[in-house]
Amino acid sequence: MGNKKLWISFAFIILALFPPLFLSQYWLHVMIISLFYVMMASSWNLIAGFTGQVSFAHAAFSGMGAYTSGMLTVYLGLPPWLGILIGTGVAALLGFGLGYLCIRMGGIYLSLTTLGFSEILRIIITNEDQWTRGTMGLQVPGFFVEYSKTSYYYLFLIVTILLLIVIYKIIHSEMGLTFRAVLNDEVAASSSGINTVRVRVLAFAISSAMSGLAGGFYGHYLMLITPDVPSLGQMFLVLAMAVIGGMGSFAGPIVGSFVLEILSEYIRVYGEYHVLLFGLIALAMARFAPEGVVGILRKKWRREWA
Amino acid sequence: MSELLMYLTNGIVIGVINAISAIGVSLIVGIMKVVNFAHGELYIFAGYFSYHLSVSLGVPPLLAMPLSIFLIFLIGIGMERTLIRPTYGDEMYSLIITFVLSIVLQNAALLIFGPYPQKPPNWVTGAMNIFGLYHYGNQRILSFFISIGVLLSIFYLIKRTWFGKSIRAISQDREMAALVGVDHLKVNMLAFGLGAALAGAAGVVLSPIFPVTPSGSSSVSLNAFIVVVLGGMGSLKGCVVGGLILGILENLGAAYISTMYRHIFGFIILILVLVFRPWGLFGQKTQ
Amino acid sequence: MKRTVFLATLMMFFLIGSWAWAQDTIKIGVVGPRTGPAAATGKAFEEGIAIALDHINARGGVLGKKVEVIFEDTGGVPEKAASAFEKLATRDKVPIVVGESHSSSALAEIEVANRYKVPLIICEAWHDDITKKNYRWVFRAGPVNSGVVDFYIAPFVKDNGFKKVAIVRENSDWGVGIAERTETNMKNLGIPFVTLKVERESKDFYTELTKIKGENPDIVLAYIYGTGLHFFVSQANEVGLSPKSLILDGAGPPSLWDTFWKNVGKAGEMELFMSSMHEKVHLTPTSRKFWEDYKKKFGKDPTDYKTRSIYNVVLIAVDAIARAKSTENEALVNALEKTSLEVTTGVVKFGLKQGTYEYHQWMPPMLVVQWQDQKQVVVYPKEAAMGALMKGK
Repeated sequence: MGNKKLWISFAFIILALFPPLFLSQYWLHVMIISLFYVMMASSWNLIAGFTGQVSFAHAAFSGMGAYTSGMLTVYLGLPPWLGILIGTGVAALLGFGLGYLCIRMGGIYLSLTTLGFSEILRIIITNEDQWTRGTMGLQVPGFFVEYSKTSYYYLFLIVTILLLIVIYKIIHSEMGLTFRAVLNDEVAASSSGINTVRVRVLAFAISSAMSGLAGGFYGHYLMLITPDVPSLGQMFLVLAMAVIGGMGSFAGPIVGSFVLEILSEYIRVYGEYHVLLFGLIALAMARFAPEGVVGILRKKWRREWA
Repeated sequence: MSELLMYLTNGIVIGVINAISAIGVSLIVGIMKVVNFAHGELYIFAGYFSYHLSVSLGVPPLLAMPLSIFLIFLIGIGMERTLIRPTYGDEMYSLIITFVLSIVLQNAALLIFGPYPQKPPNWVTGAMNIFGLYHYGNQRILSFFISIGVLLSIFYLIKRTWFGKSIRAISQDREMAALVGVDHLKVNMLAFGLGAALAGAAGVVLSPIFPVTPSGSSSVSLNAFIVVVLGGMGSLKGCVVGGLILGILENLGAAYISTMYRHIFGFIILILVLVFRPWGLFGQKTQ
Repeated sequence: MKRTVFLATLMMFFLIGSWAWAQDTIKIGVVGPRTGPAAATGKAFEEGIAIALDHINARGGVLGKKVEVIFEDTGGVPEKAASAFEKLATRDKVPIVVGESHSSSALAEIEVANRYKVPLIICEAWHDDITKKNYRWVFRAGPVNSGVVDFYIAPFVKDNGFKKVAIVRENSDWGVGIAERTETNMKNLGIPFVTLKVERESKDFYTELTKIKGENPDIVLAYIYGTGLHFFVSQANEVGLSPKSLILDGAGPPSLWDTFWKNVGKAGEMELFMSSMHEKVHLTPTSRKFWEDYKKKFGKDPTDYKTRSIYNVVLIAVDAIARAKSTENEALVNALEKTSLEVTTGVVKFGLKQGTYEYHQWMPPMLVVQWQDQKQVVVYPKEAAMGALMKGK
């Protein structure tokens, strides 16, 4: 991490400590949800942006984390943190299994399998309503005895920062270099001795685990888990945040998550059409500026300062 | 016994219509290696077009149907020209773009047509008593025969015309096809339009039975994907056999195992095929 | 750089400004589905709210201020419902919320109401637990599953001498709750029954209907809310189940939506449904006034009875604010507990005995209506009946 980058990150973290002092309950809620999306979009970006595999099961894995933890706390009385830990483990295992089965078959097959997986999960959750309460929603305990948005905000902030540090480390480690080698030139990477399949499966499992973790916290914050958590609509939001912010860059999904979540609060008054608007923006971005908002800004700054 | 026959009939009828929709996806995958996630939305739009043409504008249903399909064909060509063509060769972006497109179209349908299910007028009403064993809706029987007609014309188009020959040439060997003078950009465009039109055809035939809603599009796409993977990507025969297998299996599974799990049987097949026979029943094993 | 700072400051003011608007009206929150499978209910709510506001503001509003409504969409899904309620409570800071027509959404909302201590009056979510949980902040002026089954559906089945019953229920809290209550009642009455689960958004019921036909029931109690009911009714006719077996729509509104006859065709004949409203049945002067003003405003007869239910609860909320002479939550709950207000369906008085679903509960009288020649004919209870029940062959 360069010196300048380090200072910028510090500045952001210090700034992030203040919102509870002046934001209303309502906007703190928006901030907490944004932090959840930062975790989701950044971890999805780890596989899509850095190894070029489009998974449609990312929301499904977060649902896996949320439901596992939720049911453990409700039926066995485990504390939420332990539930989330187990939920993350389950998501990691499933991610590893799914990745192992279909990554060697290539792009289209991975996308279709993950799509199929999320549908299966949705059907099971909807129908096993004696356990999951299906579309009725499972009410789960929260983290704190006294409900407080401020406590949740700091909890989400800490978890998000830790997760981002891990992602940053991975990208800039030897493993990250191999990820990018795989993305840029698969043939060259495999001929230089990199086991492309193993690298991709590993990335897939890590990313799934992160999504399970994010989902677990999300569930205990909302205190209500429904099949909307692992839905394709949720998947679209995560994908749009990464695409609009900028895939394949560290900052892209972070920027995308905040921009879209805050924007959606402002355009909510116009009804349900914010999804349509996000779709159109994402489509235009993917077509004309695949490097996203962060890419555009970076280019501009480089031109001005260099 | 009569119950079993009823389930089988329903499975075959739904299966044939599955096949039409799946051939649309299969054509596009076979030639362009692009999975069109917006397939189901085209189906839904066709249903709404057919409804509004015949109910709001008073066009006779027999004319409204081909007109809707033609509109979808044009939309398909427009999609290919503007969004799909630039992604050829970049699998990741084509997956992302068609997925986002599906969400955009789904929400556009919600904005334009509203959330309510709509159903074009039935061509026929009532039910028929089949061999004195069970009742079956006349509309379903008629839809079945029309679907068979559509299937036969697709087979003719692909096996007997220059267009079909170019398609097959390109899907087998792109470079060779270019050498013998096949204009692959034009064929790609037409094939994408035809694939879209087939989604439209399925939508038009099925909407009087199952009314269309904006939220119903994803299950249409998913069904088509299951059939294509099961039959083998790019195989027409595979689509027909896969469609029938899926239709019958879903109906028997719903009847004898669990109605609530009706849609899971298809996905289980999808995963099993992908794991053990990724090239499908009739596809070519390339890897 | 300067511009960035300027923009950031502007953003800040925008953010802060958006929740600091001056309050010169009294805002009542409404929750209900404006999108999703039961979006038609949202429409019905809008109409009822419009008439209620006309009536209230014509009298000069309440506490000298005009009354305004903020209608948040729940999409008919619990998590959206919870966050909609949370927005009303934290962003709009409304003193009281009314509405809802989905039990699952209502069960999520009452938790939030309890957390922020905001009074909530439910009008059309029927699950027992909504009031059975005995939350101090939650009231219901509308039907409750146990009441509907115990006093209307079960006696209707018994009095008409039906020998075999099929229960079809969707997988929602309302569906599960009302089906279980029906099963208990049928067991007590000694009437044999079968129960089938169906998916709420299903469009193809051939398999389920074929199974039901094999059981040969006299009546099918269909607990399906949404357009799914239309497909169920039309396909029941196609497979030859109805009209030999009658079908009762246990919720009601779907059988009254504009699209009903278009979707079911002739199969809608002899279908039965629950309702709390009929053109010829006016229990109070308010009911007649509502009917006339609705016709004046919308140029048609009201169809969906939920239009009237939401009208009632807006009236109840405003009445409580007027008597409490404040919008403070404790005062409002105390005022609500002393409610004695004439609405369209009778005089509202909430139950006060804790321990059962009757706490903070008031239920309007219901009717069983049958479509006869596309006309609504009340066939049950006997005191209100306008004609005999038609049975198919």
